Amino acid sequence: MIKGWIKSWFADRYDVDQIEEVIKGQVEKPLPENISWFHTLGSMSLFLFVSQVFTGILLLVYYRPTVHDAFESVKFIMTTTYMGWLFRQVHAWGANLMIIVLFLHMLRTYITGSYKKPRELTWVIGAALFFLTLVFGFTGYLLPWNQLAYWATTVGTEIAGAIPWMGNFIKTLLRGGGAVGGETISRFFVVHVIILPWVLFFLIVAHLFLVRYQGIATMDPVSPGKEPKLKEGVPFFPDHVLKEGIVFFILLGVLITLAILKPFDLGEKADPLQTPFAIKPEWYFLPMYQMIKYFPKLVGIFITSLGPLILVILPFLDRGKERNPFKRPISMMLGIAGLLLLVGLGMLGAVAETKKNFFGKTYEFDIYGIPRLIKANAGSSESLQPPQTPPK
Amino acid sequence: MNHHDRSINAGLIVFSLGILAVCQGSGLAQTTQTPQVNSCVVCHSDMQEDMKGSIHSQQGIFCDRCHGGDPAQSTKELAKAPGTGYIGAPSKKQIAEMCGNCHANVEIMNFYGIRTDQLAQYKTSMHGKKLFQGDTNVAVCSDCHGEHDILPVGDPGSSVYPLNLSKTCNRCHGNEKLMSQYKLPSDIFKIYQTSVHGKALLEKKDTGAASCISCHGYHGAVPPGARDVGTTCGKCHMNEKKHFLESVHVTASEQGKFSECISCHGNHEVKPASKVLYDQTCIRCHSAEGPEAKRGGEILKMLTEAEEKLRSTTALVKQASIEGIFVEPEMASLESVKTNVIAMAPLQHTLSPERVSELHKKVISNTADIDRSIHQKRQSLWLRKLALIPMWALIIVMISALWAKYRQLHARPGNKKDGKEKRS
Repeated sequence: MIKGWIKSWFADRYDVDQIEEVIKGQVEKPLPENISWFHTLGSMSLFLFVSQVFTGILLLVYYRPTVHDAFESVKFIMTTTYMGWLFRQVHAWGANLMIIVLFLHMLRTYITGSYKKPRELTWVIGAALFFLTLVFGFTGYLLPWNQLAYWATTVGTEIAGAIPWMGNFIKTLLRGGGAVGGETISRFFVVHVIILPWVLFFLIVAHLFLVRYQGIATMDPVSPGKEPKLKEGVPFFPDHVLKEGIVFFILLGVLITLAILKPFDLGEKADPLQTPFAIKPEWYFLPMYQMIKYFPKLVGIFITSLGPLILVILPFLDRGKERNPFKRPISMMLGIAGLLLLVGLGMLGAVAETKKNFFGKTYEFDIYGIPRLIKANAGSSESLQPPQTPPK
Repeated sequence: MNHHDRSINAGLIVFSLGILAVCQGSGLAQTTQTPQVNSCVVCHSDMQEDMKGSIHSQQGIFCDRCHGGDPAQSTKELAKAPGTGYIGAPSKKQIAEMCGNCHANVEIMNFYGIRTDQLAQYKTSMHGKKLFQGDTNVAVCSDCHGEHDILPVGDPGSSVYPLNLSKTCNRCHGNEKLMSQYKLPSDIFKIYQTSVHGKALLEKKDTGAASCISCHGYHGAVPPGARDVGTTCGKCHMNEKKHFLESVHVTASEQGKFSECISCHGNHEVKPASKVLYDQTCIRCHSAEGPEAKRGGEILKMLTEAEEKLRSTTALVKQASIEGIFVEPEMASLESVKTNVIAMAPLQHTLSPERVSELHKKVISNTADIDRSIHQKRQSLWLRKLALIPMWALIIVMISALWAKYRQLHARPGNKKDGKEKRS
């Protein structure tokens, strides 16, 4: 009875049938036959974004973005507030997982050639979303105001300062002064909790609109004219939604398990007078950070900025008609090479300036990731490979 | 000294006089009574090296202040002529008075910020009393401070620098023949070296540790009497002294039957305070079965227990910190426990189990609170991990249900895909 009353209340005011039809059209929208488990990664990125917003709001209740209070407030969240530790850990792990899931989503799009005509703009917005998520990570990393955060931000903003002509301006703009301090934390906070969430929100809306409007790409080659609309296929609901549900639960489980079993340490409060040894950025910046080390400053910055640029304009560079990866050997080779480069540089970055034990021998890795055997008797080191002289 | 050296020295004198004339002319010369030229070293050149580093030489104080004579004269005869006050090597009594001429003079010493009661104190000391009674074996200023090479007390090379002082005293007090004349032991330094104070000072170079003068005084050195020992030790061990005065032993001490600290700890051989003392020293006066020994045993038990609890709780907090648990509140509480355990050490000198038990109770209760708090935090972490089991069980149920539905949909007749997409 109530249901009928509500329905008639709305029917008297709005064109309910038309709205129902639109919703039905979206819900039952046919998806191409090639829709796979990997096609759920986009929705998972969205889920992680929502999770970040939700946990972020909870953290905001207690977080204080000042040099004095930031560290203490995060510690308070982790030790005193009800379930605060869980929200902080889920937020921290969510950020890391979001970058992984976004990367995998982009990789799937690259392999299936979905970025090609007519979905170039969807790709460009997607790439922008990925880079903005990295900025999200960079700005959020500083907020707990611990030693690692402080020095990683100092190094990160220093790299920005090396950009020709406007580097110094950018560095000062980011830091709000000569050094990372109270002004920096305010700026990063505003960018992290106000600017980026809204920018990301509107870009996600645009990205999703294009995905729904143009439909999921098939594996067919690019059509010469306008792509025909798909009339039949796998229905979005319930078929694909069931798959998304399964992946969602796995991701949720992984997220909470990591938050509990591998919690992020808060470490020590930032101390501008005490520089820790071997400062490194977060793992997702390591390949870029390592790349810069092998080149002179300007060349390094130029080369590392080429990667993202190529990624953004990829649909306009690769104008091949084929989408099937087996028919795009050059694209696949380049993709694999890029992937290997990222993984290789990331690993070199991870081991650089550390000591590791292999088969009972201790090796020390220099900043270039070159291992040197440490002799047990004296603290001297012996290079296993001829030392690589970095170009000047 | 050969003729050539004399010529050089004479040349130096002429040069110095020249400089002096220039300085006086320009008004730079100091208007003191000290002669500006020390011609004594022309003949006594062997003294010159010793004097170079001495504080007196640096301050322009020449030989005549102690030996008389006129160092401004160019010949030996004129310098030691009658009327110049030349006395040669002063006697011990003369040394005390000669040093006092300046060091007991407020007007002179005020400029250097040095106290002026040394001579007065010396006269009250056993050394001073004996000296003025005609005993020249006793120590006078130069025996401890040196003669021509006197360094400031704060100079590590000085014979009276805290690290060197006990060895300086031992020069006489370690001399068996000399000490036997006064019926004094000559092995004090050897005993002191093995004591807690001696090890701290001589091995750890802790200049704050007690040496001879800390108890006996320096210029007014006297052996502290039986009733003064507590005061002497109490200069550093203030709380021990305070609590001792509240103990039952005070009456015995006032009657001269009990020598405050020494009775239990000894004097020169004083060892690090240990709980073993309860077993070893109480029974010197009290019966091992008596009520006094029992009270001692109670205190000993409380001290041991408090220290053990502090040790085990500290280890627990440290381990929890290694495990990644936030232990700041517990660390703060631990500081308060440490303070109480430290305070128990002087408090035990009251020999009152009731008083000691007040702190003991606090220690036990605080450590129990810390242990409980750490245990709860560990339990909470364990529960978090345990919660993963039902969470994954729920997730598996949900995944299974969704998967079953998915399979069911795919098993629908007519839902089999032929691999071709139908397009308009």
